[in-house]
Amino acid sequence: MPITSLDSVNVGDTLGPQEIYLSKDQVRNYARTCGMEAPRFMDDEGARAEGLPGMIAPGNMSLGLLSRLVTDWIGMSGARLARLGTTYRQPVQPDHTLTVSGFVTHIEPGEKRVEIDVWIENEDAERLVIGTASVLFP
Amino acid sequence: MAVEYDPALIGRVFEVTDPVSVTAESIGKFCTAIGETNPLYTDAAAAKRGPYGGIVAPPSFAVTFRNGRHFFTHVPRFGRAGFDAGKDVEFRAPIRPGDKITLSSHVKEIYEKTGRSGSMVFVVVRSTVQNQNGEAVAHIDHRFMNRP
Amino acid sequence: MPTILDLHSHSEASEDSRAPLEAYLNWIKLRRHERPVDGIVLTEHRQFNGAADYRALEDKFGLMVLKASEVETDYGHVLVFGVTEEMTRRFDFANVRLNAQELIDEIARMGGVAVPCHPGRPTVGLYEHYAAKPPLENVVAVEVLNGGSRKGEDDRSMELVRKYGYRAIGGSDSHLVSLIALCATRFAADVRSIDDLVRELREGSYEPVDFRPRRKPVPAAVPEEVRHNGG
Repeated sequence: MPITSLDSVNVGDTLGPQEIYLSKDQVRNYARTCGMEAPRFMDDEGARAEGLPGMIAPGNMSLGLLSRLVTDWIGMSGARLARLGTTYRQPVQPDHTLTVSGFVTHIEPGEKRVEIDVWIENEDAERLVIGTASVLFP
Repeated sequence: MAVEYDPALIGRVFEVTDPVSVTAESIGKFCTAIGETNPLYTDAAAAKRGPYGGIVAPPSFAVTFRNGRHFFTHVPRFGRAGFDAGKDVEFRAPIRPGDKITLSSHVKEIYEKTGRSGSMVFVVVRSTVQNQNGEAVAHIDHRFMNRP
Repeated sequence: MPTILDLHSHSEASEDSRAPLEAYLNWIKLRRHERPVDGIVLTEHRQFNGAADYRALEDKFGLMVLKASEVETDYGHVLVFGVTEEMTRRFDFANVRLNAQELIDEIARMGGVAVPCHPGRPTVGLYEHYAAKPPLENVVAVEVLNGGSRKGEDDRSMELVRKYGYRAIGGSDSHLVSLIALCATRFAADVRSIDDLVRELREGSYEPVDFRPRRKPVPAAVPEEVRHNGG
């Protein structure tokens, strides 16, 4: 549910979860659109030639999914994503269902700033990507 | 134990890229690639009524601009090719159709630690993403992980 | 009275965490019903801040905040409890190739206790090193429950506990506010200070406790070709 204003936000609020089935075609399309045609982002054979067990998604794509989680939550409230930090802990592999979610962890009322934990999990609840976001309200 | 490197590397700006033109089409393609449906980025009429007065790129578009081809010949690799370990992005202003984006990058920090895949050297590259008005639209701290 | 402590956490003082200590404590306060800990131990990577004083925050939230360190050795990562100035003079905590046996023995001699963490983790855990080198001596306990473990890693840690008779601790290894105190250690005795903690880790009775919620099932992966065929 998108938020409407800073007053409607509480520490502990959840973002998502968004369940995203990430296909190989989507990953290839992202990589091509962004000029990242490394073999590891194209197919399993290319990834194996680079010493990986199979095709992976670019870190930037994970960052994009986390950014989207936050901007979906912001909706048309007029707030903006001011900062996003990501750590890629494990490769994100296509042909899996990812769960993208977050928690509001801190509100700085003076700065009208909200701090958020975000992450991407696989089906085994392993956190592949973790991050934090700062959202500023007008 | 510190990592051995030339301290003069830190802070020196090696390269500023040629400008990349942002178009409504390139933003649209990026939105499709990341599965974006937010009207602020995809619907011209709705975006016009929104806080930016028109379509802007989703924030994560800012990380899609690449360093110049020659940048990494300057950056110490400490062994095999680096992996993307993470990014810290400060979004300062929206990127709009018509913008001409340049990137200027420098090595911010180098440190070593050990993890699941062995000993790792982290090289943090800081890029400033700038538009044609000289306005910084984003600062990106990009952590490259290298295995010595 | 029994005491429950998260023995492994990283605040923004660690280079790979952005979690402010105050946000950790506030989160525990909000989630105390599911994470009933009495406090946390900050185990910042490769450093120890002897001067930091958290009394004001401890009072504000009614939670204990103790200080330790996570260092890196030739047998993987090790939590050091009861850090003193003598120890930080003796060892360069920033050195990622400390000698584990020397660390364990010297820390014990100087009044602390060194506990190998996430031993089941590749490269930075004991398990893999034990396959190639002789086991360490004088290990009191290892961390068998780690909130950052991947599938199978904690099982390997448990194997070491069974094989070598180590005691077992738990910690969240949290780098995010919302993951604090999901794994912890329950002590039979009262723990009120770092000295109490070191004493109990050496001689007391304790066990790891897991407060992670059970997760709802997620649809299994469907291969691309099956999806395209409408399956």
